[in-house]
Amino acid sequence: MSDAKVHEENRGDESRHDDKPARKAANKPVIECKGITRSFWRAKERVDVLSDLDLEIEEGSFDALMGPSGSGKTTLLNLIAGLDRPTAGRLLVAGTEVSAMGDAALAKWRSQTIGFVFQHFNLIPVLTALENVELPLLLTKVPASERKKRAQIALRVVGLEDRLHHRPQQLSGGQEQRVGIARAIVHDPKIIVADEPTGELDRKSADDVLNLLDKLNREFDKTILMVTHDPAAAERARVVHKLDKGRLT
Amino acid sequence: MTLTSLTVKNIGHNWLRTMLTVAGVGIAIFAFVFIRTLTGAWEAGVENAAQDRLSTMHKVTFVMPLPKRYFGEFDGSKGKIAGVQASTYLNWFGAKHPVRESEFFANLAVDTDTFFDVYREMAVPPDRLAAWKENRQGAIIGEALANQFGWKVGDEITLVGTIYPGDWKFKIEGIYTATAKSVDRAQFLFHWDYLNDSLPEQRRDQIGWIASLVDDPSRAATISQAIDDGFDGEDVQTRTMSEKAMNMEFLGGASALLGALDFVSFVILVIMMLILGNTIAMGVRERTHEYGVLLALGFRPKHIATFVLGEGVTIGLLGGGFGLLLAYPLVEKGVGRWLEENMGAWFPYFSIPPKIAVMALVLAAALAAVAALIPAWRASKLDVIDALRRLG
Repeated sequence: MSDAKVHEENRGDESRHDDKPARKAANKPVIECKGITRSFWRAKERVDVLSDLDLEIEEGSFDALMGPSGSGKTTLLNLIAGLDRPTAGRLLVAGTEVSAMGDAALAKWRSQTIGFVFQHFNLIPVLTALENVELPLLLTKVPASERKKRAQIALRVVGLEDRLHHRPQQLSGGQEQRVGIARAIVHDPKIIVADEPTGELDRKSADDVLNLLDKLNREFDKTILMVTHDPAAAERARVVHKLDKGRLT
Repeated sequence: MTLTSLTVKNIGHNWLRTMLTVAGVGIAIFAFVFIRTLTGAWEAGVENAAQDRLSTMHKVTFVMPLPKRYFGEFDGSKGKIAGVQASTYLNWFGAKHPVRESEFFANLAVDTDTFFDVYREMAVPPDRLAAWKENRQGAIIGEALANQFGWKVGDEITLVGTIYPGDWKFKIEGIYTATAKSVDRAQFLFHWDYLNDSLPEQRRDQIGWIASLVDDPSRAATISQAIDDGFDGEDVQTRTMSEKAMNMEFLGGASALLGALDFVSFVILVIMMLILGNTIAMGVRERTHEYGVLLALGFRPKHIATFVLGEGVTIGLLGGGFGLLLAYPLVEKGVGRWLEENMGAWFPYFSIPPKIAVMALVLAAALAAVAALIPAWRASKLDVIDALRRLG
């Protein structure tokens, strides 16, 4: 890891991570940010939201990004998730230089590589839980029956096999977020990015969601990158990256 | 679930608005179908006019009579005018119902011997036809006219003359049925002799026009010319034209109105399109965040545009279907029956032509797609991060 990166090993829950350090030490980086800068123009003034940022995240890791509002957390998450492109620098995610990809290629790459978990769940209200989870598979050549089967499995993983045909408005916040997580994993992405996944939830539901993310990381080897303001949520991550004014601290 | 079913499900975001929009489109389509059916029915007499029937009238105007002796020249058996199979003569009588004066119907003094030889698409039971020919004051009426005034065979009725003043007494001897769309089912036919014998000497032996059947419709123009050439040296010259041309001339005054109605029917659809476009644009604005989510999941701008277009077309088709569901009972069974029975002279057959129904449905879908074009284009241009920032 480069000197510019400051990783804070999370040792608050040693029992939870007994088996991880040894396995993770051998893992190669799945996310590599090299000299990433992201600038925006406000009026005629250039604002560098991220400045010359270097970051590596290992495959199979569970990392958290923390920092005050405006520190660039979501901007960095958007870059890594392929929703945005850096102004300068190189960004390699899962072996692909996403900073050099066109819009169409990036959309296809996102649909195969990234699973999104949003703060506001962002389920489609006119669709059932099963249909919401099936959404990412509509972009694949997976047959309809297989799509349905995979969506059912994903919902079973998040413990909602009895809510397949419920619409979002018939679910609690915690259940909605679990449907969101099922949607994020249904196409078996390498990386799950979560933007404040517990921001809208009470403590109990938040713990359930964090347990689920932990399970996906430990049992399904998903690399998880989570933006959070919540110290309790950050404690569940193995590595916490702290951002301030566009730089890792 | 498929991309198509996802498109259709999208209309369920705001059911109240969707239902109101579908109802709005449906009413516009209903109005379109009604107006097109109305103008179509009006023009049906022209469109479906017999191709092999000619009308010979006074060269100046059909209001002026011809001498009855002209009819002798049309006698097919004598072969004076080549190509004419059969002929008959008629006078426009122009009388009214004594009480229901405002209810127009065509009443004609006809030659009982030859009339049905020329107008073969009007069917009368043989016994009734024979009874009519026997009774000098007998009349044969169309089934629509019978329904309109509640007349039946055996009834003795009186009409009030306008062109030929006085009270004219008749006995209904038969009711004809139409075997072709072009036939006015509300006509009143009686003996020309009854009219002629009742007139003062100076008004006798005059006929309104001569109708002829030709053996070859493709020679109609040549035969017409030959007829008119035959009367060129007479005091009264003739003008012969096909029944279709005559009907067009008769309806000429109404053509501007029909054109205006046709125009209105399209204006209604354009208004529908603009309202639909606004509704779809509103929906797209409200769902910007949702489109951002789909883009983040890997959906492409073309998918988003297709969803918006598909939603528009779905609403258009639903509205079109609703409009037709309204139109069939209301136009065909309700207004249509009433018009046929009460205004049979103008609307002998008032039913929605299948091509108008298909056209309405296709137009509803096509205009809805056009209405959705701009919202779809704007949705496809959304930036994923900006869209995700918008509140859902």
